[in-house]
Amino acid sequence: MTITAPTAVPSVAMDDSLPATKPAASVASLFDQFADGVYTLGFRILGDRHLAEDVVQETFIKVMRSLDTYRGDGPIAAWLYRIGYREAIAATRKRRETPLDPDEMLEAGDRPVTSVEEAVLAAELTQRLDAAIARLAEPLRSAFVLRDIEQLSTAEVARALDVSESAVKMRLARARQALRIELKEYLA
Amino acid sequence: MIVTCDQLEMLLPEFFDGALTAEQEAAAADHLATCTDCRTVVSELEDVTSLSHTHGRLQLPDDAKARIREALGLDEA
Repeated sequence: MTITAPTAVPSVAMDDSLPATKPAASVASLFDQFADGVYTLGFRILGDRHLAEDVVQETFIKVMRSLDTYRGDGPIAAWLYRIGYREAIAATRKRRETPLDPDEMLEAGDRPVTSVEEAVLAAELTQRLDAAIARLAEPLRSAFVLRDIEQLSTAEVARALDVSESAVKMRLARARQALRIELKEYLA
Repeated sequence: MIVTCDQLEMLLPEFFDGALTAEQEAAAADHLATCTDCRTVVSELEDVTSLSHTHGRLQLPDDAKARIREALGLDEA
């Protein structure tokens, strides 16, 4: 099957640089565990679902190529999200210049399935949350996504973003405060 | 140890990480017991993190998931 993604990434199966002995089963396990999270991070940074899909693919191509070199000297989630974050940031340089508009870019299938009643009740809040996250400055947004949405630890977020834990805490505090103001009518 | 509203705000990252020292935790609890404003702020920030996790996570669409799995050769293992 030919990949039709916008960035024209060649099929890994056709890439001679990948040894046949790569631990595909481990990559498959990581994909099952982290694909949604990397997609969430990619979308929240890029505001474009197709580019976010490309980020997922590029991330796992790199995971497949470098998993053997992962030394286990830190949480694998931080290692993997670090790759995903770099891919997403690199993609921002290629992104066409369009304003972020989550309402236009997200589709129903992108969200976890809920009951009809829950979906209706959550729709407005979700819309406001998407817009509020999109308005965060990028250094705050990625820290917020990894810590509060993906629920990595502060130390893992610091590793993933290659910044100090104190920087992560500062970004989180600012992001949470901004969202508290934006979402105030939905909070207790 | 007694903390003011401003000092409590400085402790919030560790507060939400559950990383306060016993002394800081006791001081924060004492302050929150008597300060309605800070109690409201903490409650709302807790709601922000909770709502964000519940409603902010996305799922890679099934068609994209299948396409990427095939591109990576994950289903051949």
